[in-house]
Amino acid sequence: MHEEALLRDLRRKVRELAPAGGTVRIVRVRLWVGALAHVTPGSIRRRWPEVVADTSAAECQLEIDLSTDPSDPAAQRVRLVEMTADDGPGGVG
Amino acid sequence: MTERTIAVNYLARVEGEGALRVRIRDRTVEEVELRIFEPPRFFEAFLRGRHYTEAPDVTARICGICPVAYQMSACHALERALGIEVGGTLRELRRLLYCGEWIESHALHIYLLHAPDFLGYPDAIQLARDHPEAVQRGLALKKAGNAIMRMLGGREIHPINVRVGGFYRCPSRDEVADLRGEVVRALALAEETVRFVAGFEFPKVEEDYEFVALRHPEEYPLNEGRIESSTGVDIDPADFDGTFEEVQMPHSHALHSVHKGAGSYLVGPMARYALNHDRLSPRALRVAQEVGLEPVVRNPFRSVLVRAVEVVYACEEAVRIIDRYRPPERPWVEAPPIDHPTHGAAATEAPRGLLYHAYDVDPSGLLRTAHIVAPTAQNQKRIEDDLRHLVTRSLDLDTPALTFACERAIRNHDPCISCATHFLSVELVRE
Repeated sequence: MHEEALLRDLRRKVRELAPAGGTVRIVRVRLWVGALAHVTPGSIRRRWPEVVADTSAAECQLEIDLSTDPSDPAAQRVRLVEMTADDGPGGVG
Repeated sequence: MTERTIAVNYLARVEGEGALRVRIRDRTVEEVELRIFEPPRFFEAFLRGRHYTEAPDVTARICGICPVAYQMSACHALERALGIEVGGTLRELRRLLYCGEWIESHALHIYLLHAPDFLGYPDAIQLARDHPEAVQRGLALKKAGNAIMRMLGGREIHPINVRVGGFYRCPSRDEVADLRGEVVRALALAEETVRFVAGFEFPKVEEDYEFVALRHPEEYPLNEGRIESSTGVDIDPADFDGTFEEVQMPHSHALHSVHKGAGSYLVGPMARYALNHDRLSPRALRVAQEVGLEPVVRNPFRSVLVRAVEVVYACEEAVRIIDRYRPPERPWVEAPPIDHPTHGAAATEAPRGLLYHAYDVDPSGLLRTAHIVAPTAQNQKRIEDDLRHLVTRSLDLDTPALTFACERAIRNHDPCISCATHFLSVELVRE
């Protein structure tokens, strides 16, 4: 239930930032998982294709930093840290 | 290829773990669907092929609040399959362990989940600012329940000392006696709790429930009894499947249960109390009468009061068992060898209501099938009925007010999903 709710929220955010048919292609997404977030990188990876389906991040590489610090103020949270876009040959800088 | 990194730093939120879809046409509520997003957990499937001795510990993992209920229903069902009877002190110890779970589970719901609704707070943290003594009372009660579970089960959550036939180890007389002071204090706190919640303002609502619970000839039911209902059902738990059935609903991952040919029904404290209030212990009965609790409660908002009376009962019963305890000769009853395929089914009373387990065991002791019907699943259809009536009465409320009213109505029945304080997204379709 907990993973489901978190991943649905992440999906909303990814769709907002990287809509299907957008001009940029997202090649990498980095997540930070708090030490007390009650989700494992494995469970996120298993469901990740559903999170990015029908977005321009559909084929992105997923990187997960797992925190071990239970005193971090966000220890119970999952953070979408950054997304890397491929701006194509030459790019826009 | 040129890459560009976009800093997002977005913290994902946990919300909307349940959803309620309501469709209204011409001021008539045409559709109420409570959707629960919890993914299917496949416990029944992965029990298949495991040895029957694993069932109590595996099924305990279904719930962190009521693991004892799963252990008890598993043990009783398997003991019926194996033809063994657990009586005397071992039976009393099981009741004591179950009392611990009722106390901690009910205290959690009354003080941390339900009381804020009545007193106008968003959660127990805010409630504690203005009513610290109430929240401390709730936590002390929960601690007493946990102490019983730790002493007898080895730990508070997912106890590890329960086995088919009894316990792996029985406590010494001193270990049990050491609990007495804390449980006696908890009994007084439980009586205060009844008076505290009796002061809440209850919306005036009555529902026409079919109550279903165990009934035992002598005891308020925990581990044993026949399954009875307010409409005349009176069956052995082994006949559960002949009377009730689970129905798959496309909108929810949880199965709905219905009384065949009759529809929804309610399990839990209101049902237990309605069918068994004459079996309450003296102090529980006295405090129920003192606050004017009627013998049959049909107002779902008053379930909090019934739950509080059950905490008094559980404390009083725990003290009785503690005072009479003498360690048994053996901590468990040995099961005979199995020489043919066998089947056993049983139901016990989890804090949230009737919990049914049934197993088929093959001659090598491996489980061929497992069937578990949890209280929240049994109540889900009945909760939808409550919501349909509530929405019909509240058509003029705006969506935030209606959402809160629906959350309250759901919390009345303490479903497992109520652990999330704000879990519900309401989709209101007016046509």
